Amino acid sequence: MPNLKIDNVNKFYGDVHAVKDLSIDVPAGEFVVLVGPSGCGKSTLLRSIAGLEEISDGDIVLGDRSIANLAPRDRNIAMVFQSYALYPYLSVYENIAFGLRARKASDDEIKKQVDWASELLDIGDYLKRFPRELSGGQRQRVAIGRAIVRNADLFLFDEPLSNLDAKLRDGMREEIKRLHTKLGKTFVYVTHDQIEAMTLADRIVLLRDGVIEQIGAPLDLFERPKNIFVAGFLGSPPMNFMDVDVTEHGTSMALPDGQILSLAGTKISGKIKDGAYTWGVRSEHLSKITETKNTVRAVIDVLQPTGSRTYGTFFLGDCHVVSELEAHDVSKEGEILHLAVAIDRTSFFDPETGSAINS
Amino acid sequence: MKQWDQGARLWARVFCAMIVTLFFVFPIYWLGAISFKTAEEIFAYPPVWIPANFNFHNYFVLFRDGEAWSIWNSFVTASISTLFAMFFGTIAAYSLVRYKTGGNHLGIWIISQRMIPPICVVFPVFLLFVAWDIVDTYTGLIVLYTAFNLPYVIWMMRGYIQEIPLELEQSALVDGLTRWAVLWKVVMPMAKSGLFATAVFTFIFAWNDFLFALILSRSDVVTFPVKVTGYFGAQSSLWSKVGALSMLGVLPMIFVVGTMQRFIVRGISMGAVKG
Amino acid sequence: MITSNSFADKLDQERWFKYFLIAPAVFIILLIGLYPFVKLILVSFQNITMFDNELSYQGFIHYERLFDDDRLWESILHTIIFTAVALPIELILGFLLALLFLERIPYKQVFVGIILLPTVISPIVAGATWKLMFDQRFGPINQVIAWFAGHEVKLLWNIEPALVWPAIMVAEVWQWTPFMFLILLAALSNVDREQLEAAQIDGASWWMTFRKIVLPAIMPVMFIALLIRGLDLFRVFDVVWTMTKGGPGTMTETISIYAYHMAFREFDVSYSAAIAFLIILILTVIVVAALRRMEVSR
Repeated sequence: MPNLKIDNVNKFYGDVHAVKDLSIDVPAGEFVVLVGPSGCGKSTLLRSIAGLEEISDGDIVLGDRSIANLAPRDRNIAMVFQSYALYPYLSVYENIAFGLRARKASDDEIKKQVDWASELLDIGDYLKRFPRELSGGQRQRVAIGRAIVRNADLFLFDEPLSNLDAKLRDGMREEIKRLHTKLGKTFVYVTHDQIEAMTLADRIVLLRDGVIEQIGAPLDLFERPKNIFVAGFLGSPPMNFMDVDVTEHGTSMALPDGQILSLAGTKISGKIKDGAYTWGVRSEHLSKITETKNTVRAVIDVLQPTGSRTYGTFFLGDCHVVSELEAHDVSKEGEILHLAVAIDRTSFFDPETGSAINS
Repeated sequence: MKQWDQGARLWARVFCAMIVTLFFVFPIYWLGAISFKTAEEIFAYPPVWIPANFNFHNYFVLFRDGEAWSIWNSFVTASISTLFAMFFGTIAAYSLVRYKTGGNHLGIWIISQRMIPPICVVFPVFLLFVAWDIVDTYTGLIVLYTAFNLPYVIWMMRGYIQEIPLELEQSALVDGLTRWAVLWKVVMPMAKSGLFATAVFTFIFAWNDFLFALILSRSDVVTFPVKVTGYFGAQSSLWSKVGALSMLGVLPMIFVVGTMQRFIVRGISMGAVKG
Repeated sequence: MITSNSFADKLDQERWFKYFLIAPAVFIILLIGLYPFVKLILVSFQNITMFDNELSYQGFIHYERLFDDDRLWESILHTIIFTAVALPIELILGFLLALLFLERIPYKQVFVGIILLPTVISPIVAGATWKLMFDQRFGPINQVIAWFAGHEVKLLWNIEPALVWPAIMVAEVWQWTPFMFLILLAALSNVDREQLEAAQIDGASWWMTFRKIVLPAIMPVMFIALLIRGLDLFRVFDVVWTMTKGGPGTMTETISIYAYHMAFREFDVSYSAAIAFLIILILTVIVVAALRRMEVSR
């Protein structure tokens, strides 16, 4: 099974530079997720790999052959589309068989492959039906089935779950991951949903404006974001950012509302220059304690219980902060809490460049 | 009280609908009645409203004298030109929609061709056909109807093809089809009902044409509308033949409306809504 | 990987494929659409008549003739009046019909099917039918009028100057009102129900609802329908040809009939080309003006 190499790819739409000199190496069998806000170039890149878009410059190599100038049908790639792209005038069986028929497979071969795929995806009962008679989740499975029956070198997914409702999406996510393990093929998956990216990927490629912001394992990106954009993109609720002043040779800092936190005893203590920083704190880094020493004093503004956890928002000066609390930590708005901060897990960024400070 | 009111209004509507329908159908009934009347019945005064019996003599005369052949001529020219116009028009429409060939201008130029009145082009076309020696041949009428219907087909099919999701075609491309195969195996099946509706209209246009046929046919390929007008003499008109041949020309349309009303309605309203 | 360069492969590239698809259609339209147009302009500057075949450039002589040709301007006047009368009648009748059929009516499909029949039959047949209907002695129209009048009537629908135009008009309206009706019915059914319900809750009168919600919603479609029908009416030929051939005299001569007469009866070819060019010019002005207005109103 070949590996995929994206080599200095550029894509222009007229004057718009959608993909900028982008390179990624995807080893065979890896599950790579391209994620980013809309317009970041992730779909363009995926469609370029499929051959649905022509790249302006650079090369795409699958194994030892360049596929950049091949027609889509010559690339031996399978793709699952956002709208599923099922042919409404064909039965489920014929939909799955479509790619095999296009490649002139024998009827026996087709039957074998369709049976295998339909069993794997648990859609054996629907083979005679037509797409309009299926639910969204079932259509999704058929679309995946159509992709996997062909012994493709590479599987592409273009936001395949975004048309499903939330509950189905969770289930399908798990199945896609299981499928990847079973097939052992290379998957390139595009989504705008950071949870999908986190849960599915071996490696995440986080894109913005046609440039890679960071590439790495999900937890890597989550815990050691290279910059404010990456830190803010991953995680739900999103990371809280506030402007802080580090003083006393890196042992103390002032929060936006003037509260002082000591950095003594943390990894960062003394290793950070005095000055202004953007401090990134995830909501789960804040927890209620009974002590008051070296805590953040918070007047809860809005409470949002989710059942297992409760989100309590409060303000530090002008800065809006979300904390993730135990369900019964707080009972009503207006309560005053003392929150301990897991400072070692928080991030400091240069307020000018947005880059993370490595301590 | 309210219920009675609604019931009365419903009946009033049904009554209106029947009156209106009668107005629209009566002339066709009258035509049909004449086609079944004997000469005495046609020229009776006061007029005979219902012919005494179904008398097929008028039709029999048409077939005996070979004049019903004009229906066959209409059928051949209309159906073959429909096939050609549908084929060339649909692939052209696909090119316009998917590849934006020629930008907006080409599409507008094509539709503008349809606005030119037939009377304005028919003489130069006549000269051209004389030069090619295809006046009074099937070829001539077929070529002309094909050309005349192409803008309509392109315009309508453009609308239908625009509704086909792009991802279906892309999926087929990735699945291993050539562009040509995508057109046949994905686009055509997806546009099936649009193709059908458009073809029905294309056929109707050609079937009903008079002016082109009047000028480009003389004896060999005279179509039925030309033949019908020929029966109106300066003094006496061959009413029985007018009635019978006209009915032969109307029958396919009655059949079309009876079986494909949905397509007709869709075709007519689409033309304006999308146009 | 070797990329083959066969014809089939080249064809499959987007840039060739799209031209390959559109080429036949463009070729045919050029041949039967553009060629006659160019030929028309050429001929109008030559002098080809029944007796003459002068192919050299003659300047604007035929265009100058247009201005002095009373019969031409009369036929244009006929055509304009015909269009101006028939079009609003078709619109109003079609609209009333659409309102009627917008409501629930049992067997609606059957009614609609029968009503649209006139639109799909040949205009020649429509003309022939009404010629029979209007026959002064054997036609049912005079008979029905006689019932109401209580005595025998012999209105000469095909000859009497005051009656010829109304007869043609009835045939035309009969054939094409269903077309308007279908388009307006589709447009009216597409009016946003929620807007109508909101208007109802806001207490708007029927008239206000119609003017503020229904009319703006169906306006674009109505406009196109009027344009299509207007252009058709302006080049009317078949119905008039069957019913009167432009007669009596030149009473009912429309521009198309006159152009036909000059080209195929008088063989005044160059002059008829000038007439054709004039018709195209008039239509182009109308269409461009109409489309402008439509864009403004959108």
